[in-house]
Amino acid sequence: MELYDQVNLTPSTLVPEEWEPLLEETVELVQQRRSQGRIIFDRFLRNRTAVGGVVFLILMVFFCYLGPAVTGHNQPNLIHPIPLSAVLNGGVKPTWQYPFGTDDVGHDWLARAMVGGQISLLVGLSSMLIAILLGIGIGSFAGFFGGVIDNLLMRFTDIFLSVPLYLLLFVLSATFTDGSPKSIILLIAVLSWMYTARLVRGEFLALREREYVLAARTVGARNLQIMFRHILPNAAGPIIVSATLLVGNNIIIESVLSFFGFGIQPPTASWGNMINLGDNLFDVNPLLVFIPGLLIFLTVLSFNLVGDGLRDALDPYMTER
Amino acid sequence: MGRYLIRRLLQAIPLLLLLSIFMFVLIHLMPGGPEQVLFNPHMTAAARAEMRTRFGLNDPLPIQYLKWLSQMLIGNFGFSYADNLPVSYLLGQRFPLTLQLFIPAFALALILALFLGVISAVRQGSLTDYSLTTVSYFGIAMPAFLLGLGLQFIFGVWLHVLPTSGTQSFGVALTPLGAFFDHLAHLILPMLTLATLSIAGWSRYMRSSTIEVIKQDYMRTARAKGVGPTAVLFRHALRNAVIPLITVVAIDFGAVAGGATITEGVFAWPGMGSLFFSSLESRDYPVLLSILIIGGTLVILFNLLADILYGVMDPRIRYA
Repeated sequence: MELYDQVNLTPSTLVPEEWEPLLEETVELVQQRRSQGRIIFDRFLRNRTAVGGVVFLILMVFFCYLGPAVTGHNQPNLIHPIPLSAVLNGGVKPTWQYPFGTDDVGHDWLARAMVGGQISLLVGLSSMLIAILLGIGIGSFAGFFGGVIDNLLMRFTDIFLSVPLYLLLFVLSATFTDGSPKSIILLIAVLSWMYTARLVRGEFLALREREYVLAARTVGARNLQIMFRHILPNAAGPIIVSATLLVGNNIIIESVLSFFGFGIQPPTASWGNMINLGDNLFDVNPLLVFIPGLLIFLTVLSFNLVGDGLRDALDPYMTER
Repeated sequence: MGRYLIRRLLQAIPLLLLLSIFMFVLIHLMPGGPEQVLFNPHMTAAARAEMRTRFGLNDPLPIQYLKWLSQMLIGNFGFSYADNLPVSYLLGQRFPLTLQLFIPAFALALILALFLGVISAVRQGSLTDYSLTTVSYFGIAMPAFLLGLGLQFIFGVWLHVLPTSGTQSFGVALTPLGAFFDHLAHLILPMLTLATLSIAGWSRYMRSSTIEVIKQDYMRTARAKGVGPTAVLFRHALRNAVIPLITVVAIDFGAVAGGATITEGVFAWPGMGSLFFSSLESRDYPVLLSILIIGGTLVILFNLLADILYGVMDPRIRYA
């Protein structure tokens, strides 16, 4: 104690006074040491357009799933009584009672937009899920085992890739689907797994040569364990990115099919078949086309922005900002 | 190079055969046949059976396939159920119209994508670059049919300046020259739709490949020895920057063909796409099968072309 007093050795003299706030911050910085996931998340948050996409998608989900209950526009198939003048002029123009107007029969376009959005989002998301699973299955076996298996699976993929996609979609949906969401989801999934399969194959080809795979094999892991416990998580980044982009893509496919009358069949509403119905009244009431059209466009745009944001956030070569 | 070319061509043949089998089986799994397309309630069962025999539908499937394949290889695509005309005659009628749409759209898309991509790359980070990036994001998220409908609304319904469907105006007497311009006016909107779809994606590729190239040392060398900025860009940079784009364009052929089909449907342009839709509705399987096979063959050929062009344009690429 005396010694301390003599030389005046308090902590504040060990370190120059002006450093002290920095010292405190260092402790904080050490505590703030971020995990890999946290770094990626922070990087994603800094991408304003991508965050905007996420926010829009969340709003869209609320709009489609909670909207009918909240706004009371919950009868998409009810034929509302509308005046004769509206029937002759392509439906009611937007009013407080019908914010999106109606078609010439009296379908409430807001109610149909919300319920149709549920179908379009459902088709986009679930067909993406099935396609990604198919792509991972085929791509991982081709990439991991190589040789004959790789050759067979990739020639199979090539066949699917060498058919003009939309022609095959139209042919198959015209004859093999019944216009229900389930059949359309399956159809879109069966025709959209190819790029994921190629991507996964490429990742597996590169990753199976890594040391950790050898290490796993050394401790006795079986092939399937190595494939799905060790390699797949390391290939997750590109797969997640392509999955996000695939959702937007599949929503477009659904809308194209339904627009030409081969997709989801009325009375079930989807954004695509709303445009199909509105197309007949295009010159008198173009809003019937533009409202679902704008919803499709903004939703697809948001999925693409989120996908690109994820790609940038997951890229290890991006400098940490 | 020569050996590589031959090997690639040989690889394409089994793929084409597999594709034809796939399509053939698919079409034959579909319900219906000529007796349903040409349905006539007075037709007896014997007459229907006779009709199936006439179209060769009673043979076992592999025999039917071989017959069909051998006929197709000598240019006989069979008879349409609905029109009772040779399929090749129908295709010959429609194909020129599709080319009229496809070639100018393709050329326009390529030129604009090159131009816009290079501008964005050279002015990287500028307002021009940001606005072009934004517009191309919009373009990528826009389905073909929606773009077509939007253009129809703006130029047809709203401004009343361009026709929105078909190939000619009805109810007006036109001189031959007037008819020609009338035809051109009908071509503008579908062509713009088809071109715009590709411009968005392609100009992105062009931008990133140009950025990659202009960072390289030989660009600085060229500038240092006194070549002007424009000449460096067009004579030195563009040559290398365009290589990835060529590949992407060739690989994208299938997507563009799909886009053309949709565009023809939206604008009622009577080309192959419209033939496809009408034969799909009438279940005219020989026509459908022919269109699918032609489309698939073209996609495979364009992929092959992409590989070959890649090597021709970039001597650094060696074929193993």
